[in-house]
Amino acid sequence: MEEKLTREEVLHVANLARIEIDEEELAMYQVKLKQILNEIEKINEVTSYDEGMLICPTENKCKLREDTAGEMLEPREALKNAPRSSGNYFSVPVVIGETGEASA
Amino acid sequence: MTNYIPTIGIEVHVELKTNTKIFSNSINGYGQMANSLTNVVDLGYPGTLPTLNKEVINLAIKAAKVLNCNIRREMHFDRKNYFYPDNPKNFQITQSRTPIGYDGYVEIEVEKTKKKIYIEEMHIEEDTCKSTHRGDKTLLDFNRAGVPLIEIVTKPCISSSTEAKLYLEKLKELLFYSDISDCKMEEGSMRCDANVSIRKNEQDLFGTKCEIKNIGSISNVGLSIEKEIERQAKLLDSGETFKEQTRRFDNKTCDTVLMRVKETGNDYRYFPEPDIPYLYITDEMITEVEKTICMLPDERRTIYIEKGVSDVNAKKLIQNRELSDYFNTLLSEKTNFKIASNLILGDISAYLNKNEKKITDTTLTKERFLELIEKVDDGTLTSKNLKDILDVILEKDISISTIIKESGIENITDDSTIREIIKKIISENPESVSDYKAGHDRAIKFFMGQVMKETKGSANPKLAMDILKEELK
Repeated sequence: MEEKLTREEVLHVANLARIEIDEEELAMYQVKLKQILNEIEKINEVTSYDEGMLICPTENKCKLREDTAGEMLEPREALKNAPRSSGNYFSVPVVIGETGEASA
Repeated sequence: MTNYIPTIGIEVHVELKTNTKIFSNSINGYGQMANSLTNVVDLGYPGTLPTLNKEVINLAIKAAKVLNCNIRREMHFDRKNYFYPDNPKNFQITQSRTPIGYDGYVEIEVEKTKKKIYIEEMHIEEDTCKSTHRGDKTLLDFNRAGVPLIEIVTKPCISSSTEAKLYLEKLKELLFYSDISDCKMEEGSMRCDANVSIRKNEQDLFGTKCEIKNIGSISNVGLSIEKEIERQAKLLDSGETFKEQTRRFDNKTCDTVLMRVKETGNDYRYFPEPDIPYLYITDEMITEVEKTICMLPDERRTIYIEKGVSDVNAKKLIQNRELSDYFNTLLSEKTNFKIASNLILGDISAYLNKNEKKITDTTLTKERFLELIEKVDDGTLTSKNLKDILDVILEKDISISTIIKESGIENITDDSTIREIIKKIISENPESVSDYKAGHDRAIKFFMGQVMKETKGSANPKLAMDILKEELK
């Protein structure tokens, strides 16, 4: 039998990504997402790294920027690509009641 | 209602006082026109890259120091993924696995007993944009997007709303004094969340915890904790169970309200931020930051009290960093610190408030202030006289003794003149003399009042009191 994720797992991921999927897509992702996970699992087979963290393959050190201001956008420019705006604000469908603020 | 033991942990977000944002060079400012302090990095444009602000690291090291934390020497940043319009790149850059500070503490005093509130960790992250809800739409202002934050997380070691409030007051004092943040809760530069759970006995496992988000003032933190303890206790008493949840404090009803359940833990799919290489903190960086840490409130308090300043005045001075800094310039001098604190917090503060001035904007140099203290201490200047010439003292750069002379308010320090006046008053008020002899304290105050009235406030009070007592014998 083909390996696949449960319906709930796929629906959960879809919800996190804020996308709607139909039954046909759901069935497809149950299989495809599992295939991706299996591929990723292979990384575990690679010999483990030395201790310490490895976040990138280079030895680059983070360079710090001086705390001096540079150029900024005019509000008008900043809003140019916005599908909807109101005054100087970006306008999106109401999201009250949600608690998605990042400050968690 | 059964008595339960509460367990409280507090998370505080503080905006750092930098010129620019954490990952971009747009200005970190408050109260400006919406979306006027942004650039493509803050707006999350594809292809833009974060560049880490040096001052953010310095202030975070400083915060770690004043909160007695260990400082991690090798760290990276992480992406916290979520979809919400306050962050168009769909992730927040934070430190999940390698917070810059860990295992610290803040000391509070609860009913004369010292208690350490342990800090689990403090990490650096970016703020999101500000959303305002208007009818059927939400308006977004990206001026706040990318403002540097540190999040300070305590261990679940707080056991009452009082302790929670004391901790927050102390934290605010420390961060404010160290110039790390302006800690204005009303402007959102300091924001608090509280995690509350209750259990019956010390030996029991922690109860189910509920988080109260974004509480707008320290007193509301206390209130919301009390309400939450009450709510959970009622549920447990009636045999109900409840799930972990996020609530918010409603200012109008003064109660906590359920918020929509949001992503937690794994749902954020944290992974290392690949666009920021490893960051290393060196000894030199820490030493440089240490040099910028000023005398902290606790040390100030101890010194002030040693110097004879009252508890109340010490507290008031510390509440006003500017006045406290000014006061500190006197510490190496020999003077009457009690009078100095009374002057600063009394007439001088009243003048500064009325004229919207800082003490450093006045002409009151340390030398002139010392002279002023001396004149008050030896009785040359009465408090009434001082009020008359205070404006001149603070606005003109002339010696205090010259001002006193020129204003003609020099005190009558001539023994015989004062004695004559006192004798006259005593003879006119035989009833008060009997009162005094019968041991009524009020009588001496009455006589002093009469002396001051007669001399239009110009009698040297110490001298007048001595003569008065002699004459009343």
